[in-house]
Amino acid sequence: MAYALHFPRTLDEAFRLLDPEGTEGALPLAGGTDLLPAVEAGRWHPSALVSLSRLPLGTFERTEHEILIGGTLPLRRLEREPDIVRLLPGLVEAIREVGSVPLRHRATLGGNVVRASPASDLLPPLLALEASLDLRSRDGTRRVALGDFLRGSWETTLRPGELVERIRIPVPRPSSYRWQRVRPANDISQVGVACALASSDGRSPWRIAAGGVEPHPQRLPGAEAALSHEDPTPGEIEEAVHRAVEGSRLKDDRRAGEEYRRHLLGVLLRRSITSTVSRARTMGGRGT
Amino acid sequence: MTRSVSLRLRVNGVPLERSIPPNRILLDLLREDLNLTGTKRGCDLGTCGCCTVLLDGVPTLSCLTLAKLVEGTEVTTVEGLGEHGELTALQRAFVERGATQCGFCTPGFLMTATALLRDHPTVSRKEIQEALSGNLCRCTGYVKIIEAVEAASRSGASPSLP
Ligand code: FES
Ligand code: FES
Repeated sequence: MAYALHFPRTLDEAFRLLDPEGTEGALPLAGGTDLLPAVEAGRWHPSALVSLSRLPLGTFERTEHEILIGGTLPLRRLEREPDIVRLLPGLVEAIREVGSVPLRHRATLGGNVVRASPASDLLPPLLALEASLDLRSRDGTRRVALGDFLRGSWETTLRPGELVERIRIPVPRPSSYRWQRVRPANDISQVGVACALASSDGRSPWRIAAGGVEPHPQRLPGAEAALSHEDPTPGEIEEAVHRAVEGSRLKDDRRAGEEYRRHLLGVLLRRSITSTVSRARTMGGRGT
Repeated sequence: MTRSVSLRLRVNGVPLERSIPPNRILLDLLREDLNLTGTKRGCDLGTCGCCTVLLDGVPTLSCLTLAKLVEGTEVTTVEGLGEHGELTALQRAFVERGATQCGFCTPGFLMTATALLRDHPTVSRKEIQEALSGNLCRCTGYVKIIEAVEAASRSGASPSLP
């Protein structure tokens, strides 16, 4: 289980250490909350771990229309960031449900996205919030929408040698995340539903995504289309629920059966829509 | 074979310098190398909180932390609570309220709650529950533990760190 441990201070140095041709089996190490147990248990055998802790990837920036979250910022920092609390309430609700406080002191948003766990509680809100990623490599930075980045469960379009430089999220976005699980803390949701309101440009302003569906968290375009404006009628909400349930393949595993998840999807979608509507009122309308 | 790396840090106020394998986990450094066995290994996965220590005052799961990554920090374990062999107000409250049964989870609870009371000397029951939600206990049913933290918070004596 022996591996070398590196602490590069510049991105160039990191890319050299992560070069698949130079150092076979070198893995980037961010918070390590997922990676270290896998290595310790002998599931992965990296030749080297390249710590991202000394790289300039822990930045936080707020522009007029966006929040830019550095790839290695710990979740605990994000849930306490006043701009995120105020402008992206649905994201904060999901972050606060990840693991426990000490875990969130280490776990990062970049790491969560790159692992692409099908059970991630952060992917539904990030999808509904239309997050995109700046992926940095030796060749520069490319931007990719999160929806295109996720390829399957545990599968992304990340290329070898690429690091998450930033996660970009448009603001403000009245939003909400509703979930159900066996235990509130230190657990993973059976189903989680995130809603966000964007500018409509003639289409529905609703962006809705769910976890607990196959094969990984994804947007629910049918439900979105059923809601034509910011303050939907009860009938429209029921239509959105109907389309969400009809249009999704629910997971069936040890966390919950398919039937129960189908029920949860409807309940949580109603709650998430309602809470987003009331947030839109207090936040003074939809975002960009 | 991968070479050892040097590590410098302070543990419970004592400066320490040694050479360790790069893959040494902080929990193993504490328990195996330094014989500080108060910090417990429960799940090794980041879900039980038994291995919680303070890194520069911040509660951290030592089972998920590479020792080399904490270079230069101050690590506080349960052995470092209190001064001159005296228990802290929080530890006394645990004893008085019967917040300990088998005791396996106790060091983790003490470290998490110590940081909580340091940052918020008076806390509500809800805040205590939230802060402790990452620590699992198989014996007490949590009520006594929460009561103990509440009592220590009302007693006003904020627990001392070395
Ligand atoms: S042993 Fe570290 S959280 Fe359980
Ligand atoms: S007292 Fe036994 S696990 Fe908590």
